[in-house]
Amino acid sequence: MMKLAVFLSDWRRTEDSYERIKADKLGVILVGNGIYHAVMKEGGKDSPVLSKAGASFYVLSDDLETRGFSAANVNTKVKVVSYGDVVDLIMNDYEKTAWL
Amino acid sequence: MAVLTIGAFPSLVGSMTLDFSFKLAEAAIAKGHKVNFWLSGNAVMMAKKGQKAFKDYSHIEKRMMELLGKGVEITVCEACAEARGYHKEDTPAGMKRASMDWYLAKTFNSERVLHIGGE
Repeated sequence: MMKLAVFLSDWRRTEDSYERIKADKLGVILVGNGIYHAVMKEGGKDSPVLSKAGASFYVLSDDLETRGFSAANVNTKVKVVSYGDVVDLIMNDYEKTAWL
Repeated sequence: MAVLTIGAFPSLVGSMTLDFSFKLAEAAIAKGHKVNFWLSGNAVMMAKKGQKAFKDYSHIEKRMMELLGKGVEITVCEACAEARGYHKEDTPAGMKRASMDWYLAKTFNSERVLHIGGE
């Protein structure tokens, strides 16, 4: 069973690789400029990144705050996490990681 | 305790991914894990001691030295460093220089690997 944590660090569209990724358990961790997927809408719609079926979504609180956002701004599909939480996700919840 | 190996292949000074890598390493150490850190490509800018801290300018040498003090193994790609003019005598105390073999060996002996590509 493949448990994969994917880090998205950019607001640019990276769906090419992202859409092809398949895992039995998939976590998407939004860091750096990737946090904009958790807080911005396009044409009133959520970022397409958040439409990945079956995935769990996380956003790094430090990177949110650096960019002037808080947990109150975050899409309800996304859980706000700390660096320590990211370590726990990597060590306990997912077996492989990928950086897109 | 588990072993996390981070491979950072970032852009130049001010790289967000390099900053992320160091903070993640700190968090992993704080949770009792062992961390190996491979700095490659432009990340070898960390292989130059005496970097000056400017206000509002990325400066992570201090953070790196603290990680070295906590037992994090930090190794830079020797070829990447030499190609940029960073020589053995430039290397901060405690930092190692090695070939890619070091990174490969660490990835095979770690529970988790996070390979962070270039920006």
